[in-house]
Amino acid sequence: LSKQVRKKTRRYSGSVGESRLMPYFFVGAATIYLILFTSIPLLRGFWFSFTDSLLLAPTEGNFIGFENYRRYLTDSSFYSSLWTTIVYTFVVVVGAVSLGVISAIAINEKLPGRAIFRSMLTVPWAVPGVSVVLIYNWIYNYDSGVANQAVQALGMGQKGWLIDPSLGMFAVTFASIWKVFPFIMLVVLAALQSVPEELREASKVDGADRFSAFKTVVIPHLMPTIRVASLLMTIWSIRRFEIIYLLTGGGPSGATNTIVINVYKQAFESSELGRAAALGILGLLLSLSVTIVYFAVDRKNAKRDSL
Amino acid sequence: MKKVSPTKIFRWIFVFVLASFAIFPIYWMYNTSLTPVGGLFGGQNLIPRVQDSLQIFNVFFTEVPIWRWLRNSAVVALGTTLSSLAMAVLAGYGLSRFRFFGKGLLGFSLFATQMLPEALLIVPMYALFMSLGLLNGFSGLILANTAFVMPVAVWIIKSAMDGIPYEIEEAARVDGTPRLAVLTQIMMPLTAPSIAAASVILFFDGWNDFLFASTFISSSEKWLATVGLASFLGEFVTPLATVFSAALVFTIPAILFFLIMQRQIISGLTSGSVKG
Repeated sequence: LSKQVRKKTRRYSGSVGESRLMPYFFVGAATIYLILFTSIPLLRGFWFSFTDSLLLAPTEGNFIGFENYRRYLTDSSFYSSLWTTIVYTFVVVVGAVSLGVISAIAINEKLPGRAIFRSMLTVPWAVPGVSVVLIYNWIYNYDSGVANQAVQALGMGQKGWLIDPSLGMFAVTFASIWKVFPFIMLVVLAALQSVPEELREASKVDGADRFSAFKTVVIPHLMPTIRVASLLMTIWSIRRFEIIYLLTGGGPSGATNTIVINVYKQAFESSELGRAAALGILGLLLSLSVTIVYFAVDRKNAKRDSL
Repeated sequence: MKKVSPTKIFRWIFVFVLASFAIFPIYWMYNTSLTPVGGLFGGQNLIPRVQDSLQIFNVFFTEVPIWRWLRNSAVVALGTTLSSLAMAVLAGYGLSRFRFFGKGLLGFSLFATQMLPEALLIVPMYALFMSLGLLNGFSGLILANTAFVMPVAVWIIKSAMDGIPYEIEEAARVDGTPRLAVLTQIMMPLTAPSIAAASVILFFDGWNDFLFASTFISSSEKWLATVGLASFLGEFVTPLATVFSAALVFTIPAILFFLIMQRQIISGLTSGSVKG
């Protein structure tokens, strides 16, 4: 094996006298860093998940096998947390992707003030999570928030955006979509600008009206970009922490208690390190399965397209 | 005069509504930062008065240690940027220009870090930093943030370097210029826009960090701005105008840098993930 590698390396770097260890000089620091601060903590977290360790004495836990996992998998509150995670992720991804694609299409063509509008539409993405929480916390304020001023003006009465369990998920997903949709918009905008002009022209010559040209030419061109951006958005949503934690803390009455929020509370409020780690691993499995399904579908699509 | 079509007017109104939706919360933050306590309850004015705001700034400078928080945030952000950038430039070059054993695995691991919930890793990291004595210090925060954001910078820089033809450095290589000099004198200047974009992402990852900062830091002199600002949530002593003035001072640098660098950031992020 090492002979093969040596040959490949030398052929590629293509200069005589260069050590075959050269590539490792470049990637070495980053690799060692990731091993020390990502891989080892991950393995250690995996180990914790089989123990009854507590936060203040992480090394003194006893091995208890699958007990932590068994407890979650037979506990209905785990399934409601899983369901909350799925609902949150689904709503945020669908909302952000629709809003992002619509914004990108709307702003792609010439329009008076387009540059200013584009900057305005980009701003939420740059706003730090903590600032997002501060401002939405005030907007959602029961007595004096602007959200209630607005719905009261419409004659709908005051709403407990962050207090009413039936509205908590709405309040949190709304703030999250607001923050992340510009990412989709910018990515789609970049893809739109790479639609070959001939393609559009060709469809015009064929007598296609704007809408059907859009459907048959532009949308298929955008699909790969939208798919990748949706995958990233899904993974990021599954692990989103501060907006949810600071806005509702998982409440009201568990309405926004996603797995990640639950992991943090188990570890740092209940000090149950082992249980928290097991839940974290279950959450990681969720992200992993989404990614695996994505790549499986992607490969199938690629095969179909090449046929 | 050119005739303006109704669909164009409709589209303009549509974009105007979208843009207002995007900017309103920021405008509201600004508005609140200029409105004195009495003006907030029972309906806020759409346009605040100037003399009120001067009075608010007085309170702001004296009552909130925002400058200390911002300085702490800047230290962590700068540390995260420098440590990540040093490793990411080297690794990006290595991944772009060499074929070597373990390359596929390294590339996959870099993507996989995006899947890891911080809330899972923070538990063993907490245990690790406790044993190293790095809790309650900025270096622990820099180390933790670097672990999560450095892979993103590697992707951005690697894909930028993929776009530079190999012949450009070949000429220098024939002259016997060492690899490292090729990297610093030829490749880095050529990919400077992407490196700058990566720096913005790195810097604001440290600047925006709340989870590590609130978990690892226990003494309030070492609070980052995120933790300090979050401490206003649910307390009713500090006037809202003061809270939002502080929040604005914290937010505006992020907005400015992202707006300036948006094109490079987007092309870096997408080319990395599309190929990954």
